[in-house]
Amino acid sequence: MTLLVTNLIVMAVDARDADGRQKVLRVWTQTFASPLQNASSKATGATSGFFQQIWHFRSTAAENEQLKQRLIEMETELHTARGAAVENERLRALLHLNEQSDIKNIPARVIARDPSVWFNTITINRGSSSGVEVNMPVVTPGGIVGRVITVSPWASQVMLITDEKAGAGAVVGQLGSGALGSVRGRADLGVALIEMRYVSGLEKVEVGDYVMTTGQDGIYPPGLNVGRVVEVKNGTATQAHQIYIQPGAQLDRLEEVAVLLYHPPPRSLPEQTPTSPEKSRR
Amino acid sequence: MSQLKIAVVLSVSIVLQLLLREVWRPLSFIDFPLIVVVYIALQREAWQALLVGTIAGLVVDAMSGGLIGAGGFSKTLTAYVIYFAATRINLENPLLRIPVLAAASLLDSAIYVFWHRVLGYPPAVPTVQTMSYRLIATTVVGTLALYLIDATVAERSAQRRQFATRRRVARRSTGSLRRR
Repeated sequence: MTLLVTNLIVMAVDARDADGRQKVLRVWTQTFASPLQNASSKATGATSGFFQQIWHFRSTAAENEQLKQRLIEMETELHTARGAAVENERLRALLHLNEQSDIKNIPARVIARDPSVWFNTITINRGSSSGVEVNMPVVTPGGIVGRVITVSPWASQVMLITDEKAGAGAVVGQLGSGALGSVRGRADLGVALIEMRYVSGLEKVEVGDYVMTTGQDGIYPPGLNVGRVVEVKNGTATQAHQIYIQPGAQLDRLEEVAVLLYHPPPRSLPEQTPTSPEKSRR
Repeated sequence: MSQLKIAVVLSVSIVLQLLLREVWRPLSFIDFPLIVVVYIALQREAWQALLVGTIAGLVVDAMSGGLIGAGGFSKTLTAYVIYFAATRINLENPLLRIPVLAAASLLDSAIYVFWHRVLGYPPAVPTVQTMSYRLIATTVVGTLALYLIDATVAERSAQRRQFATRRRVARRSTGSLRRR
């Protein structure tokens, strides 16, 4: 009973912190968990490398001993070189992203994925010591990935754009087009697709159109790629289109990402309503 | 089962839970910590089962995007329910463990999802589909794992227990003979 009540209290404290605020409990747990996640990430890399070596060994078993040895060496070298080239390309793309935009960004490595099957968060190896803050956007050269939800000194947790609670203001086509709406994930769509809502049925939307951020959500800067339209269920004058988008970032194979050190411009307060003459008389 | 052994097995199960998702995503449907919890609860070790349930749940919660404490709550309650059933019904038969594992997986998922929905954090994946995959994966792997433990560890420990009882009986009898 004591254990159940303790769990319940911990859960209630964690749930109490509203979205967009730093969760104290989560920061502490992540501070202690991030070294383990970092170590496990490295171990996974080493294990898969080991199995790849075995695979290479098996595939060349039919050849004679000398050639086999030489082939293994060559393949290992080639594999390392290819890996380095791919990594180099990815990092170069991130660097290009840095040069392209005025917003500063920090490159980060994905050190863990959610161990439970119920959520799709990722953990990156950059935290408050690198200047990362809650709600900062996370991107890849392909498009937006999600936003930071928890920051500990050396790691941060990122909620992917495919999560039901992770919305973003978006527009189909170029900025300035009338096809405005909001994108968000849906549990039944997984990480492969996201849904775009509230686009007027009178706007022309076609499969293959690009979707960009508008910056109206107060998280993502305008003009970032979200993805490409893969399916449209046309709406009417009174009904919005139902649009499905394939995210530009490869969310199931993320390795390196960039955190944009972006602070949205403060929203202007609504003008005060004029006091009624009756009230002023009083 | 000694406490050190439990700690080692639990740590291994948590590390497996962390690593296997990185290797291949469908492997994350196997709930290794839950299998450990079920095994200990079936041994009718109430406190150990409840503690292991809480610790396993909280550690996984700490690294996941869900609410901290939801996994701890669900695993603790699951451990208690299995312990309660094991003290009243004979669940020693290996075949009976299949429905026990399935029920544990289903109960654990249902409680976890229930608390997240109640507190406004709906899971990011389809609930029924994920529950079904988790049930199948955990039951299949859990049945094999428990069978292996039975075939290797449990038999020896049962033998050791038998020898210890015999030794105690022998000592008592020799002691009484000496007194005479």
